[in-house]
Amino acid sequence: MTIRIDPEENEIRALVNMAEFNGKHVLEIGCGKGRLTWRYARLAAHVTAIDPFVDGIAKAREDLPEDLQSRVEFHPIAFEDFAASKEAATYDLAILSWSLC
Amino acid sequence: MKHESMVHALEEILRLLKPGGTLIDIHPVVQAWLCEVTQGSKAVFAEPSPTYDYEEDLIQADVALAQVVQRRLFDRDIEGEFDFLTYASSAAELREFLKKASAYEDSLQDDEVTARAEELAARVEQIRQACGEGAEVAAHERGRITLLRPVI
Repeated sequence: MTIRIDPEENEIRALVNMAEFNGKHVLEIGCGKGRLTWRYARLAAHVTAIDPFVDGIAKAREDLPEDLQSRVEFHPIAFEDFAASKEAATYDLAILSWSLC
Repeated sequence: MKHESMVHALEEILRLLKPGGTLIDIHPVVQAWLCEVTQGSKAVFAEPSPTYDYEEDLIQADVALAQVVQRRLFDRDIEGEFDFLTYASSAAELREFLKKASAYEDSLQDDEVTARAEELAARVEQIRQACGEGAEVAAHERGRITLLRPVI
């Protein structure tokens, strides 16, 4: 299988041009298998990435590079449940990753 | 998801953001994605996919974003668009990938849509093979990225 997703890196270029990641605590909603997460995680202080689909999160955890293990955490949870468990004013940056619709 | 649920999600994001925080939303623009045959960086064939069935969801997302801006919860700061392509070595491979990727979605395609999708895939594969070595099949979406800042 030779699937190539956004090899031009148009998505990450648009994201990095728009958002400041340095030193930020990021919440990514709808991370799937971590496709986009990998591309910006090294720029951020910490990333919490969530998705309701257990298989996607399992794959993301499996593929998590060692140097990112202290910086990125993946949770298989729906956003409404996640938000209900979190205190206000926790994140510097939230990313809705193709997940609002 | 209806826009009321999306607005509620945006309100929750607002609560979770620190003062001075930002929200980035990425979602497709309201138009069917294109099924393409590409050679190098050039599309030699492009046709809207008959399987595009989420236009209403995209409209609802745009309505939800407009509502939170109108209610002065967020300011829409910067907006842009980008091309997002997924390439495969054959039409069958692309269809299989997209099928797996959308396995969690609850939409069911009727027989007529499936037949049209199969017909398009067959044509696309013929064109790809006629183009020779290096030709690929691609799903071409247009993404919109929006930066929103909470209104203090």
